[in-house]
Amino acid sequence: MRNYLICILLCISTQLLGFGIGDIPIQDEGRIKPLDTFARNHLLAFYGKRTLTNINLSATDWLLDLILNPKSGRDQKIFNIRNPEVASSLFLVWTSEHKYSFNEIAPGLREQASLISVIDQKNNEDRSIFEKQLFELSKNILRFEELSYLKAIKLIPPSNGSENSEWFSPFDFIVKRVPSDNNQNEILSSIQLYLAGRMSKDEAQMDSALYNYETALASFVDQDINIPVLEKESWMNKARLFQMSLGFYLAAFVFLAFSWMIKPILLNKLSYVLLALGTLVHGYAILVRMYIMGRPPVTTLYESVIFVSFIIVLLSIVLERFRRDGLGVFVGSVSGAILHFIGFSYASDGDTLGMLVAVLNSNFWLATHVTTITIGYGASLMAGLVGHLYLIFLVKKEKNETVLNSIFKNLFGITLIALFFTLFGTILGGIWADQSWGRFWGWDPKENGALLIVLWQLMMIHMRLSGLAKPAEFALGMGLNNIIVALAWFGVNLLQVGLHSYGFDDGVARNLYVFIVLELFFCLGLYFFQKYKVKINLA
Amino acid sequence: MLDLITKLLSSPRIFSYTVLWMIVLVFFGTLAQKDIGLYASQMKYFSSYYFTVGGFIPVPGGRSVLLLMTINLAFSLFKKNLWKMKKVGIIIVHVGGLLLLLGGGITAQFSSEGNMVISEGETINYVDDYFDMELVFVNTSLQDSLEYTVFDEPLLENGTKIIYDELNLQIDIIDHIKNVRIEQRISTADTIYKGFLNEFILLPKKPEKEATQNRPGIVIKLSGLNNSQDGIYGIFLGQKTPDTFQINGNLFFIEFRRKRTYIPFSINLLDFEKVMHPGTNVAKSYSSEINLIEDAISRRILIKMNEPLRHAGYTFYQASFVDGLDKETSVLAAVKNYGRLFPYISSIIMSIGLLIHLLIHLPKMLERRSNTI
Repeated sequence: MRNYLICILLCISTQLLGFGIGDIPIQDEGRIKPLDTFARNHLLAFYGKRTLTNINLSATDWLLDLILNPKSGRDQKIFNIRNPEVASSLFLVWTSEHKYSFNEIAPGLREQASLISVIDQKNNEDRSIFEKQLFELSKNILRFEELSYLKAIKLIPPSNGSENSEWFSPFDFIVKRVPSDNNQNEILSSIQLYLAGRMSKDEAQMDSALYNYETALASFVDQDINIPVLEKESWMNKARLFQMSLGFYLAAFVFLAFSWMIKPILLNKLSYVLLALGTLVHGYAILVRMYIMGRPPVTTLYESVIFVSFIIVLLSIVLERFRRDGLGVFVGSVSGAILHFIGFSYASDGDTLGMLVAVLNSNFWLATHVTTITIGYGASLMAGLVGHLYLIFLVKKEKNETVLNSIFKNLFGITLIALFFTLFGTILGGIWADQSWGRFWGWDPKENGALLIVLWQLMMIHMRLSGLAKPAEFALGMGLNNIIVALAWFGVNLLQVGLHSYGFDDGVARNLYVFIVLELFFCLGLYFFQKYKVKINLA
Repeated sequence: MLDLITKLLSSPRIFSYTVLWMIVLVFFGTLAQKDIGLYASQMKYFSSYYFTVGGFIPVPGGRSVLLLMTINLAFSLFKKNLWKMKKVGIIIVHVGGLLLLLGGGITAQFSSEGNMVISEGETINYVDDYFDMELVFVNTSLQDSLEYTVFDEPLLENGTKIIYDELNLQIDIIDHIKNVRIEQRISTADTIYKGFLNEFILLPKKPEKEATQNRPGIVIKLSGLNNSQDGIYGIFLGQKTPDTFQINGNLFFIEFRRKRTYIPFSINLLDFEKVMHPGTNVAKSYSSEINLIEDAISRRILIKMNEPLRHAGYTFYQASFVDGLDKETSVLAAVKNYGRLFPYISSIIMSIGLLIHLLIHLPKMLERRSNTI
């Protein structure tokens, strides 16, 4: 499987450049990552973006400049303070761009040292927003200082140790005088050579230093250093694949919209092709992430968003293949784009390739249960979207029975697919729980969320089959199913009980409420509107 | 008549309504967990036959709903118009669903679970219940320290008198305390208070949200020993130095502890290990290296997260741990479940059924318009 994946990756991917400075491995937050990712994540934490957009400087270049010339680095305005309260507590003048340098912030922080140590004592939940931001800033300033004298950059592997042992920073060897062996000295001297070359802008020296570096890395056999993977990750940082797939989806939607006015057949085909291209890039990006981390596609909330949007677009393409009237492209491009934006908002929290806690650290169950249930979320949302379409068509042109009937049949079919994955995924989750801690079902919020989706879909299907619900009611029910999916997916984290509650902030709660109100308004509005209209016609 | 009953009980409308009520239960049962904790909400909404809303209106709980659902499903399989070739997938799915519900019923009725809390070096041959308590007198003077269980759950009401013939004792239950708070006495205690109560008092404290975090206690009056030993004793979970009494020179410990189930083998913890992702506070894995001792033969086994030990009908999982100064304590969850194979079998059956149904019917459902029109 692994080899197969690698083969696909190498076939599709653009030609990789040689080992660059951005590819050198660093141990950070529990995993080995390329310097490029390391620098980007720090810049994201400090500055709010992964590159210095105002002076067009990449994160790696910023970090290297900081190491070579800490003095001017400390005057660079790279700390983003979002809260005027925080700025004023540090005696800073609140400006419209609200970016400050280390040298501007540090004296104020020293004044506030006692306040910060009080905040440090508190639990995170008990901190106010101001306290959280001030505390975060103080940690960032500390981290910045550690970066500037190479303390926080753990780039030297231990000479004899397992993959679970901690790496060293140059600071450990040079200042703390930790004894080093030949291989470690080789890494140290190569990085020094590289930095000296960069100072004097000597390309040849930088290249030979990197060559030495790569050779020296090969001697650490105990460590899990995989240079192709590192290169792939820093390539992916630059390639911005998800931005590309988003672009394709948006373009598909634009062409589809134009197809309603001019050249329907040609533009419709074109939008279909664009959607398919976007899906290819989207799927490729997911594959690259799997390759980098060596684990299944969905392990975090961020990845579930990306994967659900992939499933919806994929189902839309299948739907479009059968229908060929643009409805599939419409559903796919709109929901694909929206979910991309939601994904980006999660990605702005930090490294999207984080490590997992012990109980989740099982590739088998992540691959089976989590993937199945996430496909189920995607298929359920897709059914919900087709349900919306049915209601819209009901209101728009209720005369056209054949179109309505065909959409209803699609809706019922997709509901069955969704039921298959949610039901099977939920049971698999129970089996995982049985395997891991001995109970099949514990009424944990996340389990209950998945169960709610299954029950709701079972109810709608049986109501339809027993005649309790007509097609319009079924479509309404499946439209409202979106609310249940959203609650199960994001809502259970709001409860903060049980095993599954990971990562959540207040913004999610607000967005969730907005979504629920909109869905209720939209679905019930359409449903009662057409019912009202029908009654008028009969009279 | 029989036909009518079958028709009534097999109606898909019953399913629609029961499932709707189940949705309501799951929704509110989940929300309630934020306030009353997972265990209490599970007991109220899901493990009950009925519960009351607003204090007096009884409504069906999870068990009755699932029971009705099971009956409905079983009867629906007798419907004649179901047994057709094109519905074969549907039949299979429903048989699988029935198995899943039956398995759930068996698990709910017959499974037992608890904890084994073992420190490094310790050997233990019993499982502690998660919630149920027991009051025990242990004769420590005998070689195998004979245990007398006075009573266990359901706990006796305050004010009950028990005559315990075997030891010729009378025990009066004075007070059960769900969650105790211990306070030192300011003034000298009345001579009726013995042992721990001589210097401390047990007071009730607001129960914790998670029931397992409570520290239950009990205040009892013992009579029938002798004048100096008869009196009021206060015992609580996790008491460091137990209260004692003597009968004919035999020393008895009084213990109020989690109800024990003895198992026919013992487990000796050699080493508990916790591996972190390097440079972080995130755990990568937990594991317990143990000796399983049965009939004086011991076997070395490694229990890891996601890799439990199965032995003699019991399954032991790495559930938790307690950090100690010199040694660590591992918490293994021990489960005996007769219904555990049902979900495995029924999920396979159900997915096969749904797949067959989808394969037969899906191509038609995805087309834009049917050819007959």
